[in-house]
Amino acid sequence: MVVGAWICLLAPLGGALAITLAGQWISRRAAGYISTLTTFLAFAGGLVTFFGLWSRDAEEREHLSTAYTWLAAGDFQVGMEILVDPLSAVMMLVVSGVGGLIVWYSMGYMAGDEEERRYFAYMSLFVFSMLLLVQAGNFLLLLVGWGLVGLASYLLIGFWHRRPEAVAAAKKAFVMNAIGDATFALAAVLLIWSTGALEFSGVFAGVEGLSGTTVNLVALGLLGGAVAKSAQIPLHTWLPDAMEGPTPVSALIHAATMVTAGVYLLVRAHPIFEAAPDVQALAAILGAVTLLVAGFVALVQWDIKRVIAYSTMSQIGYMFLAAGIGAYGVAIFHLMTHAFFKALLFLAAGVVIHHLSDEQDIRRMGGLKTALPRTHLAFLVGTVALVGIPPLAGFWSKDAIVASALARGDALGWTLFAAGLLGVLLTGAYSFRLYFAVFQGKPQEAEAERSHAHETHGEGPMSMLAPVGILAVLSAIGGLLSIPGVWHPFTHWIEETGEPLVEATAGQDYLTSAISVALGILGIVIARRAFLLDRQLVTASSAWRAFEHKLYFDELYDALFHRPSAALSNALRRRVEGPIIERSLNEIGSGTILASGGLARVQSGLLRTYALAIAFSVCVLVIVFVAVR
Amino acid sequence: MSGPGVGWYLIVSAALFGIGSLGVMLRRSPLIVLLSLEIMLNGANLALIAFARQVGDLDGQIFALAVMAVAAAEVAIGLGLIVAMARRDMALDVDQASALRG
Repeated sequence: MVVGAWICLLAPLGGALAITLAGQWISRRAAGYISTLTTFLAFAGGLVTFFGLWSRDAEEREHLSTAYTWLAAGDFQVGMEILVDPLSAVMMLVVSGVGGLIVWYSMGYMAGDEEERRYFAYMSLFVFSMLLLVQAGNFLLLLVGWGLVGLASYLLIGFWHRRPEAVAAAKKAFVMNAIGDATFALAAVLLIWSTGALEFSGVFAGVEGLSGTTVNLVALGLLGGAVAKSAQIPLHTWLPDAMEGPTPVSALIHAATMVTAGVYLLVRAHPIFEAAPDVQALAAILGAVTLLVAGFVALVQWDIKRVIAYSTMSQIGYMFLAAGIGAYGVAIFHLMTHAFFKALLFLAAGVVIHHLSDEQDIRRMGGLKTALPRTHLAFLVGTVALVGIPPLAGFWSKDAIVASALARGDALGWTLFAAGLLGVLLTGAYSFRLYFAVFQGKPQEAEAERSHAHETHGEGPMSMLAPVGILAVLSAIGGLLSIPGVWHPFTHWIEETGEPLVEATAGQDYLTSAISVALGILGIVIARRAFLLDRQLVTASSAWRAFEHKLYFDELYDALFHRPSAALSNALRRRVEGPIIERSLNEIGSGTILASGGLARVQSGLLRTYALAIAFSVCVLVIVFVAVR
Repeated sequence: MSGPGVGWYLIVSAALFGIGSLGVMLRRSPLIVLLSLEIMLNGANLALIAFARQVGDLDGQIFALAVMAVAAAEVAIGLGLIVAMARRDMALDVDQASALRG
């Protein structure tokens, strides 16, 4: 069982190393095969681990496997250790399973790119980093995985390095993530200082005895890391720009796995957050704010991938909300179903983009239902699952989150409940706006141009369609793992890692479901009416402008951070660097030349002068010696 | 202890040292400079031996022997240099061998 976990962790690393070292010796296609097969090997390892855990008793499902002691300083030790427990097993399956499908899809999507080998090496590196993140047995390894996924994300967003926008987006993502990494690292240092441990069990045992301030600071640091990685307000601005990367990258990193790492961290470190209830509530509030803001902004975006990216932010907002009120199993459940249907949406969007020769603007799309019938069906499944119409996956998981907010009961719970329901309405509106604009109506100019330019080649190669089909099936049935009032195998499985603080009764579940399905359908109807009347969803022009500018977050950060620091450094350059430092360096140089010119004259090269100097010096020394005595 | 006191020896030693150092400082022929160096070394040797006699142990005398050995080596090198200069048709004048001028 533990062997399976190690295979799961190391197979993608082996794939990345093999592709990197083989270089030009293997064909581009072989690189794709290596990457796909090692990721599926990791999935097999994950399955072995999962069923190994399944066959054990509930009390014996936590296993820490240490390869060796990595760092030791006095009594403080950090091992190269992985933790196998129900939570990490589920995450392993999601990461390697969805990851494998997406890497497989990439073989079709990236075929013909000049740098396919580099792409697949990065993809394997990412899968390895993400698996390290979810399997890490202590906070330091978790932080290592945390940093590595950020690196892989940076490399893959900027994969098309000849496009300046892609490089800028990669830098932005890296810097925003670095803020989160820094707060996470500070929290880890604080944990070492206060509890003397970094492995999860030691930390969670030590949290009890800490002062309120320390626990709050640690929880805030971890929350900062989670917020940056999961693109929640206020560190969310990098995610829409990250859509500059290849579409499978957006599906894997910026929808299914990496951006959900923050949710994983909230659940994994739940004893810390439970000891700091204010910070935990803050996580829920941030999630609720993000899910609303992202939902509103998604209503007006024109880029097909950006709409889905804002939808991702919004859905992760739901997960934060769930983790923040202590519904851990439900949060991870939504993480899993979201990984299915959001990866599906991105991959289907990738088929569309591929079909239209890299067109991403939905104003130039339309009527693709006839040209791409199978993609249309898959996209529809993903969209309906996203809105949460039964019996598709999103219905079960999202309603469970909203119902948990209702079960909390207090004022915060009611607010979150209302925000969640409003989010469902927004989801219905923006996702069906996208669906109608892309697949319904008349073919637009992009499609017309395309069919004139060259003959149609179907919907794409098998390697692209098969993963989309599999994900469509998963999106359709993945939610049946938890049916309120009937059975809860999934949430009970996660409960062994994190006992939930709130649990909705079946009645609350049914009430929530009724309201949210009604709101979702209302959103769909609104989107359909707007589409048929050829109107926008947001008609007030001031609101439209605000949403189109993403509520001015980029402009705000520009004014708050970029411009003051640029002005300060310019002033320092002019007032300090130029006149003081540069000129003083020049003067030190010229002064040295002058002084050495004077001293050089002493070296006359005349032997007798030297002898005279020595004799004279000896005389002086003798006189001094005698005088001092 | 018979013979003149240690003071006389020191006077002779100082005189030898002074003559030698004047030779080093004033003469231009490298050969004479080497000879003057020998005179300085022997002046120093005389002082060493005189003090050794006064103190009554052999350390000074042994040290004088060591100085002689070093002086012999030094003369060998110095004469070798002078021969090399002569072979390359350089003027035998220390003032002209001033290529190390700063």
